[in-house]
Amino acid sequence: MLKILVCVKQVPDVDQMRMDPATGNLIRAGVPAILNPLDANALSAAVKVKETYGAEITLITMGPPNAEAVLRECLAVGADKAILVSDRAFGNADTLATSYSIVSAAKQAGDFDLIFCGKETLDGATGQMGSQLAERFDAAQVTSASLIKEIDVDNNKLVVERELETGIETLEVSMPCLFTMEKTNYPVRIPSLKGKLAAKKAPVVTYTANDIPGLDRERIGDAGSPTKVPRMFPPVMPEPGVIIDEGSVEASVAKLFELIKD
Amino acid sequence: MDKKNFKDMWVYVEHDGKQVHPVALELCCEIRKLCDQSGDRLVAVIAGQLPESEVEKVKQCGVDAIIAVSGTGYERYNTEAYTNLFTVLCNKYKPSAVFVGGTVNGRDFAPRFAARLETGCTSDATELIYNPETTDIEFVEPAAGGKIMAVITIPVLRPQVGTIRPGTFKHVPTGAKAKVELIKEEISFPVENIRSRFIDFRADAFDPELDIASCDTIVCVGAGIKDEESLGRYRELAKLLGGKLACTRPVVDRELLPYKLQVGQSGVMIKPKLYIGFGVSGAVNHVTGVDAEKFIAVNRDPDAPIFNYCDYGIVGDMDEVCDMMIAQLKK
Repeated sequence: MLKILVCVKQVPDVDQMRMDPATGNLIRAGVPAILNPLDANALSAAVKVKETYGAEITLITMGPPNAEAVLRECLAVGADKAILVSDRAFGNADTLATSYSIVSAAKQAGDFDLIFCGKETLDGATGQMGSQLAERFDAAQVTSASLIKEIDVDNNKLVVERELETGIETLEVSMPCLFTMEKTNYPVRIPSLKGKLAAKKAPVVTYTANDIPGLDRERIGDAGSPTKVPRMFPPVMPEPGVIIDEGSVEASVAKLFELIKD
Repeated sequence: MDKKNFKDMWVYVEHDGKQVHPVALELCCEIRKLCDQSGDRLVAVIAGQLPESEVEKVKQCGVDAIIAVSGTGYERYNTEAYTNLFTVLCNKYKPSAVFVGGTVNGRDFAPRFAARLETGCTSDATELIYNPETTDIEFVEPAAGGKIMAVITIPVLRPQVGTIRPGTFKHVPTGAKAKVELIKEEISFPVENIRSRFIDFRADAFDPELDIASCDTIVCVGAGIKDEESLGRYRELAKLLGGKLACTRPVVDRELLPYKLQVGQSGVMIKPKLYIGFGVSGAVNHVTGVDAEKFIAVNRDPDAPIFNYCDYGIVGDMDEVCDMMIAQLKK
């Protein structure tokens, strides 16, 4: 049976973040943590493969203990079990350290034929994790994949479509293979009542750094992250433009058209 | 690792065998400026066959050297050959930085060879600054959905790898150097080791409505849009103005419009003569994608940041203002 790994992330809903005008810092308090939107599409693709060919789906995420919530959410739509990689030692990791940490943990759970990721996250939005995970899994990769067309389980290969800027590329790829998924063909699935009940009972294993034999502490967390963020600053705002207010919408629009008519 | 042993800044020249991708020329022009400050040489890396007239365009951007790579595996883009190519070249020549255009394919292999080299990779910077004290490049980019700007550096390791979106920088060639060193490399990647085998390519049926990058007039709807039905009036306005409809990320997230119409840092960079934003809040990662001659904003919130970027603004209900524009244009 195909073994599938789906990588997901709990992210702050950045659309609800506000900046403190006094300090220029982001106000994180009260901002809800959600499943990264594109990860839900990646999960849909994995579940579709499971329905078609039969598969066992393992989820993996790295984050604080409360990231279990997004794992339960994903278990409710067809994943079978989940791994939560959680330890302060993993904190402040960039994509290089995160990919090392996740792959080290995933290998404890065995080998995977197919690995699914969302195309990018709402918060970091680097879009790098897929390629870096694939490198560490020593797997083939198809980024911006839009359709898993056909899987030849016996011959360990599959046909997949990929979205380029100007069209669709069709590739034949050997397994193991990692996909970062576009949402084109895989709408988010809504959990059934049965799924929700199953999710409550499904196993979620937590791995701390100590639970991963041979883990190189120099390659995780802040120490293992070559990219640093020495400073953040509020966006430099230009001076406001001219606000047109002629008393009515009709007059304001007329004035605007007058101003820009050349 | 001693950073001083790593010299030169590289630009990967993406091409399709006939033409250089514009992002490579944009990058060469921008990195030329960094090299002038750092004293590094600007080196263009070209794999596979490219007509001499196109190589000339690269030279016109002021490169000091070209590494021209021949061998098997480069005819059509694939992850393995290009990841291997940059791993081998970086190990041999030890560049200080490698810049890759943030196309779908550039974003595919750049993080992978960075991981193989165990170095840092940044993506989607909108500004690059050379810091002479640290000798690091500062990659400046909008973070947290554009609420804040982050400076990202790779202070210890080399090379510093960065992918940059097409349209971020301008192609303003400063002219060819009197002497451009040509370095020839043969690096063959065994074709049978390519794990993703090309079967076919279907070009999208050209849909002019989706071609917003080179359009003179853009009517852009943001998170303030009510529903699918209310999109109609904005389409009509765009048509009356001889322009096209575009949108911001939240509108794509709500699946009201396709990703190809998303303007901004993680979408399409636009350079219209006229931009009218309706219900657009003005997040940095959207406005960095807009380089408009005339920038108009309509929003019901007088404090929306978009009013800081506009030439003219109207505070009011977006639908009402749009309907009024349509009415007056029809007169």
